[in-house]
Amino acid sequence: MRASQEKNMQAASQTNAQAKAQSEGPILEVKDLQVDFKADGHTVHAVRDSSFNVYPGQWVAIVGESGSGKSTSAMSVLGLLPGTGKVVGGSMKLHGRELVGLSASDYEQVRGSQIGLVPQDPMSNLNPVLRIGTQVKEALEANHMDVAREKRSQLAKQIASAETVTLKNSDDELFISAKDLPGLFAAAKSALEEIHAKNIDRTMEAFKAEWDVGSQTRWGVAKGLIKAGLDDEKAWSIAKQHVTGSDMNDRIAGLLSEAGLPDAATRARQYPHEFSGGMRQRALIAVGLASRPDLLIADEPTSALDVTVQKKILDHLHGLTDSLGTAVLFITHDLGLAAERAQHIVVMYKGRVVESGPSLEVLQHPQHPYTRRLVNAAPSLASQRIISAKEHGQDASKLMEHHTKGEGDLERSEHVITVEHLTKEFKLPRKKEMFKAVDDVSFSVKRGTTLAIVGESGSGKSTVANMVLHLLEPSSGRIYYEGKDLSGFNGQSLLDFRRHVQPVFQNPYGSLDPMYSIYRSIEEPLRIHGIGDRKSREQRVRELLDMVEMPESVMGRYPNELSGGQRQRIAIARAMALNPDVIICDEAVSALDVLVQDQVLRLLNDLQAERGLSYLFITHDLAVVRQIADEVVVMQHGRLVEHATTDEVFDHPKQQYTRDLLEAIPGGHLQLGLD
Amino acid sequence: MTDMTMNESLNGSMTESNAEVFFPDPLPGQERFVAPLDDTPLADVDSVNDEVPATSMWADAWKKLRRNPLFIISAVLAIFVILVALFPFLFTKQDPMACNLDNSLGAGTSGHPFGYDLQGCDVYSRVVYGTRTSVSIGILTTLLVTVFGGLIGAVAGFFGGWVDAILSRVTDIFFAIPMLLGAIVLLQMFRTSGSIWKIVFTLTLFGWVQMARITRSAVMEAKNLEFNTASTALGSSPVRNLFNHILPNSLAPIIVMATMSLGNYIVSEATLSFLGIGLPTSLVSWGGDISTAQSLLTTNPSVLFYPSAALAITVLAFIMMGDAVKDALDPKSKTV
Repeated sequence: MRASQEKNMQAASQTNAQAKAQSEGPILEVKDLQVDFKADGHTVHAVRDSSFNVYPGQWVAIVGESGSGKSTSAMSVLGLLPGTGKVVGGSMKLHGRELVGLSASDYEQVRGSQIGLVPQDPMSNLNPVLRIGTQVKEALEANHMDVAREKRSQLAKQIASAETVTLKNSDDELFISAKDLPGLFAAAKSALEEIHAKNIDRTMEAFKAEWDVGSQTRWGVAKGLIKAGLDDEKAWSIAKQHVTGSDMNDRIAGLLSEAGLPDAATRARQYPHEFSGGMRQRALIAVGLASRPDLLIADEPTSALDVTVQKKILDHLHGLTDSLGTAVLFITHDLGLAAERAQHIVVMYKGRVVESGPSLEVLQHPQHPYTRRLVNAAPSLASQRIISAKEHGQDASKLMEHHTKGEGDLERSEHVITVEHLTKEFKLPRKKEMFKAVDDVSFSVKRGTTLAIVGESGSGKSTVANMVLHLLEPSSGRIYYEGKDLSGFNGQSLLDFRRHVQPVFQNPYGSLDPMYSIYRSIEEPLRIHGIGDRKSREQRVRELLDMVEMPESVMGRYPNELSGGQRQRIAIARAMALNPDVIICDEAVSALDVLVQDQVLRLLNDLQAERGLSYLFITHDLAVVRQIADEVVVMQHGRLVEHATTDEVFDHPKQQYTRDLLEAIPGGHLQLGLD
Repeated sequence: MTDMTMNESLNGSMTESNAEVFFPDPLPGQERFVAPLDDTPLADVDSVNDEVPATSMWADAWKKLRRNPLFIISAVLAIFVILVALFPFLFTKQDPMACNLDNSLGAGTSGHPFGYDLQGCDVYSRVVYGTRTSVSIGILTTLLVTVFGGLIGAVAGFFGGWVDAILSRVTDIFFAIPMLLGAIVLLQMFRTSGSIWKIVFTLTLFGWVQMARITRSAVMEAKNLEFNTASTALGSSPVRNLFNHILPNSLAPIIVMATMSLGNYIVSEATLSFLGIGLPTSLVSWGGDISTAQSLLTTNPSVLFYPSAALAITVLAFIMMGDAVKDALDPKSKTV
């Protein structure tokens, strides 16, 4: 019921936006865009004949794998192509004004005030030596938004021809100032009491939430008062008397709180290192939207963040751009995320647009083989597919190939790894108390199955993995491998343990020695354990490469020549070299594009089916869990909050935290056409 | 799951639900578009590009070096200087020690292109034979500094903790002593010895600190890279990690440091010999010759000019080579 209501509402709001957009024409019109890069005397065609339109207030997503030209297209619009990149053909029109060939100083007028950017990496895009507020201020000053509206219009009248003074046509731009706020509340309250309005307290609570210093306008205040029951004249007189325009600090705080930072005035005085990744991204959103651009380019704004944070930030950005009427060009590699957020999707592959159209239509009827591939690979959609299939009584096990063992088998199979009351404490620098990274965690991995540990960054899941790998000493608690206590291992017994329990790490760029050829990398474990002679080792390396579906020709290559997914497959081959029983995957697919991620997950599933491997799978992404795990352990702040089979966790999550994680899976509400 | 089942399940159920799914009419320019498959043939997911030849980091660096004119010029010069140092008799038949006072300050003649010095010795042959002393002191010092400083730096960086604390403080103490000042004081004790080793050891004693510092930071950086954890988890011992993974990955800055400082050691030797506390006059060296010729600057500058030029060109060659090597091995320009 709820779903259909939502659908109707969505449809209604879409038709409204539709009519508005139609009358105004596209805000951004990109036609046959061509971008070339020059490297070592070669020309690389990064973007070829790419065309798309963005309408006012619309979210348009460009989807594709890394190297598909999606970011390059967006950066061309901003005139910020890196290095040797150059637009060599086509046209880009912003409000009908041609951007190709614009001079550097003209482009400066466009950037910031007309096109904003929320960059990909929140860690490196804020200046570490400047306060957050100062960086927002910079954005305002660079676009001449640092004076109150009156002053600006006066200026504009004085210098009639000055183009640098931009006057926005939006409503009243006088914001509430911090010193006006108490007076405003008092006036509102007494006015409401005068007319004997109902629920005054509740209305005042609502006003408290709405009237953000430096963000809420005089017009907004007046509208709110009218809605509360005051007549127009009274409402406007209160608004005019008490909303007299904010100063710079108020405005900065207002922008930050719009972006979803609580206690913004204090936050504005802090430095980037005091912010978490999600908070930094919010600050960057405030910077990007500071000058109220008509178009915001969001270049994978959340791919560096946890899924729950991703959802919160995108929800907030969505609400904010809706209320401001900002159009968003959203770059992502996840089709599920794109379809959930955007009305129009542009799929790019190898520099070309291979498919575009209304997002649901593209998602439900993908026609280009590449789009179909993306739809099949998206983990969010895959888990959605499993749910839908189950609801329709289809045999879900067909979709979950790894579930080869029946439930009965599960009960009987023995435990390969058992963890009991595991605790790890770290000493914090300059602090007396110990920090509990892992707090009393117990679980066990059954032979031939996959146990996933899920949690946000900082939940202690990787610390558990490192302790199980005997790379970290637990503070207390026991870990058993095949019933033997890990703490008793040393020398030969430790070497034996290493032979049977192998890791695959998160960062495919860091876990292979760049000085080692692929052959040497895969051969290393055989050498360490003194297995075979040169010839038999080479034979084994060939077998392993074949196992992970890599050509033998890569043996002489070095890690820097391979993509992230290929390196991860090499890391899996190395882990498989000693025929282990258990593989511990620490965020093994988190850094990969969806297609490659899907490929690696399939590989892991196949290897498990063939060899009866057991996996301990650490991830922050519940969508991936559905594809691979039999059992799930959910961790939060070092504690185990939920432990159940995958189906139970997905169908009947017991903890609110688990429900939040499930909610955060992008594309979770999409209808794939299975219902 | 296979593509087949996926497509079936998708297509099969989609037909039934078409009617109720709401599609707004697309806006102009946003109509459904599907590119013809011919334009963008689909490659395998994440396929390996076999066309590009395989390269290692060293091969890459070598390729960059070969294209760098700075490196080619400096390498040709350095090879020439080393050849002269190894086989001085190929370049002159004249004995540098055979001096005849009759020729004192004589101008250049055929067979003696650079003329004669105050003692009547052939300047050309002295420059040629002086090469061996200078270059061998430079190379030997660099080798010793690299081994000794590198070892201490590696141990400090790898073990950390109190080992690092002690070694770093020792390094700091030596760092506080200016190399030349220390060398002058120390060499006073061995004025009579005619061996080049006294200079090599002295320069090493005061020169290893920089190498130790650089190696320490390179090892500390490489130590924290994930592939070490991966190797440990494979069963590799810490010491094996140090020699198989960490040191090879810290080599680049060490090599750069070594090539760049080689020139400095040659200059230091010349300075010490010039000050008269380096090599005895019985050994031909550029520094010694510059020292004896200094009084002739106004009257016979050519006697001073040739050994100084030889010194300058040699040092320049090695420093330029170091610069080129640095460019090639610079981690920032690496494409990772």
